[in-house]
Amino acid sequence: MKREHQETIGGAGSSNGNKAESSSSSMATGKGKIWVEDDQDAGGMDELLAVLGYKIKSSEMADVAQKLEQLEMVLGSEDGFSHLASDTVHYNPSDLSGWVQNMLSEFNNLPSTDLDSSILLSNNQDSQSSTITSLDFSINSQSKVFVDNSEYDLRAIPGVAAYPQQEFDKSNDRKRMKLTPVGSNNAPALAVNNSLQSSNPSCSPSSSPQAIMAVSGTLSEPTRPVVLIDSQETGVHLVHTLLACAEAIQQENLKFADALFKLIGPLALSQAGAMRKVATYFAEALARRIYKIFPQDYCLDSSYSDTLEMHFYETCPYIKFAHFTANQAILEAFANASRVHVIDFGLKQGMQWPALMQALALRPGGPPAFRLTGIGPPQPDNTDALQQVGWKLAQLAQTIGVKFEFRGFVANSLADLEAEILDLRPPEVEAVAVNSVFELHRLLDRPGNIDKVLGSIKAMRPKIVTIVEQEANHNGPVFLDRFNEALHYYSSLFDSLEGSGLTPPSQDLVMSELYLGRQICNVVACEGADRVERHETLAQWRTRFDSAGFDPVHLGSNAFKQASMLLALFAGGDGYRVEENNGCLMLGWHTRPLIATSAWRPAAGDSQL
Amino acid sequence: MEGNVKEKRPKFCVNDHVDILMEILKRLDGRSLCVSACVCRLWCTIARNDSLWEHLCFRHASPPPSSGVRPVIVALGGYKRLYMVCVRPVLSRLGRLRIAGDSDRARKVWTRDGVQLSLSLFCVDYYERLGRLGGGGDASGGSSLMFLCKPVNV
Repeated sequence: MKREHQETIGGAGSSNGNKAESSSSSMATGKGKIWVEDDQDAGGMDELLAVLGYKIKSSEMADVAQKLEQLEMVLGSEDGFSHLASDTVHYNPSDLSGWVQNMLSEFNNLPSTDLDSSILLSNNQDSQSSTITSLDFSINSQSKVFVDNSEYDLRAIPGVAAYPQQEFDKSNDRKRMKLTPVGSNNAPALAVNNSLQSSNPSCSPSSSPQAIMAVSGTLSEPTRPVVLIDSQETGVHLVHTLLACAEAIQQENLKFADALFKLIGPLALSQAGAMRKVATYFAEALARRIYKIFPQDYCLDSSYSDTLEMHFYETCPYIKFAHFTANQAILEAFANASRVHVIDFGLKQGMQWPALMQALALRPGGPPAFRLTGIGPPQPDNTDALQQVGWKLAQLAQTIGVKFEFRGFVANSLADLEAEILDLRPPEVEAVAVNSVFELHRLLDRPGNIDKVLGSIKAMRPKIVTIVEQEANHNGPVFLDRFNEALHYYSSLFDSLEGSGLTPPSQDLVMSELYLGRQICNVVACEGADRVERHETLAQWRTRFDSAGFDPVHLGSNAFKQASMLLALFAGGDGYRVEENNGCLMLGWHTRPLIATSAWRPAAGDSQL
Repeated sequence: MEGNVKEKRPKFCVNDHVDILMEILKRLDGRSLCVSACVCRLWCTIARNDSLWEHLCFRHASPPPSSGVRPVIVALGGYKRLYMVCVRPVLSRLGRLRIAGDSDRARKVWTRDGVQLSLSLFCVDYYERLGRLGGGGDASGGSSLMFLCKPVNV
């Protein structure tokens, strides 16, 4: 007689939640994999299992494993396996023995069409049924099924409580179920099949045992048993499992990490919306780390990542915010100049510059002569992407009547750049601005690079340097901290995408998520030179710039007002927040700042370089 | 009664007086202007006149943008497009958020920042269209102003 919370779950695709010490058991499911026997002592394993909320002792593992074997045989022999996929029976793998027995009992009961649940127990059609009789089922496990379509609650992420309850949503449709234990007695649940319709409508929920069932799918029949699932607890559990897996990886305990990883999949499926996507991406990144399948092509295909970034640009305001605030700072710095030169560290599609050129064109004294130097990565197919962008900008400039010059530089890394090759004119003649949107953090893999680049920037003698970076610390030395930070950061980002009002499936939304997913993969799975997404916080960048000899320039209230207005235009407008932080502007989602714009100029005391 | 009317028929048709018509149409809001363009061919031609839309765009802008704006806007696609693509959605979204007591009938007053923002977005839109015409974009290529078209979840 086992546990309190026992839910039943359709076993076709979601049997990954098994943990068994014996190596011989395996689940013949889509994701089935053999559990390798752990060499850890039983005591430690017990604790770990308890931490994760599995109410099972490692001494019982052998028993469970044996039953799993039987189950596998049963599953394999049933050609009606597919009907399980459409079944809506839910199991709680937190109680493994009970779960297995439920599964077995269900198999035994399937051919039966008798609605009387008492017959379920005595229906021994296989030899495995001998295990059934050891259980004493109580029949009256009926409770109501609630379909809870409320908004997923991402508050689960910062939550620390590790709830022992765990529920799986097996249904293929996207309905989520609310599942809570009803009643307080300890009798286990009865696994009831949809087709059996053995629910007893006269049974009141208060008398039902704590073991509960979830039945999803069409709820047209009122006699169907009903269950409540608390998705917030699942969410907390999911986060907990992700963090535990990351910790296992950090401790080089790859077997345990592997075991935990397999739990994440079904947990993630039980969520909906942003949390599911975030968890899926993080799980994939963890898998890459565990199985050492490192992605190689993050930096190579820049046209692909540019396309993704364009969709991200259109879907949510982060990049637009970056462009508009940086442009405002540059505009103010160029107030009286008749010739201006902007050096863009990451030209990409040049989306930042039309707005600046238009603002310059409408300047009260008339537009200055505008020179743009764009820097970009080498293209795999040798097309000159920079020149194409330059040509488009030149067309625009001609349309609005601004004198325009363009020069493109291809560089593998910004550290390869020297100020001399940029053909700069003296500052009396030409006002220079350096602009970097999400580019500087790539230089942090080697310690000397960023200093070299900052030195080059100073050598350019700019009037203003505008920097936009992600507001997160994804560059710490400890993997687990990075993982934790990234989990929170990207959860907020995905949450804001959900709030963007785009009805899924929308291509923009999908591409934006893919764009972020690639970043997640890079932060979590890559190391060394491959890991380019080394974000640092504004405070860290401030320290760097201060010690490199730059003074901060305060972004004015104009920038703030424009930014606020821009955000108000977006569908999720009330979720976005613009904050001012010592002269820098930060855009965040609810309480979490996500990107930060800052402006700098070389310190006044610096002698001419 | 009918005989009286027949005698004193003034025979006034506003279509004969295009300037009066323009003055009237100048004071319409965007939707009515579009509706009026469907009345007859003359009205359609007049409603396409960009100066009407210019008036409509910056009617409530305070301070009104300088005259130097016009060549830029015309070059980027004209006031009608500016209104349709930028000004109308921006005004409606910002107006909805400004829940002041008297702005029910939307004397939506634009600040210079609002004007500037609309112009910037308009310029970005032009630039993106450039990209698409250049053969780089696909037919379903998104516009960066699509976010303005989506329904606002206020």
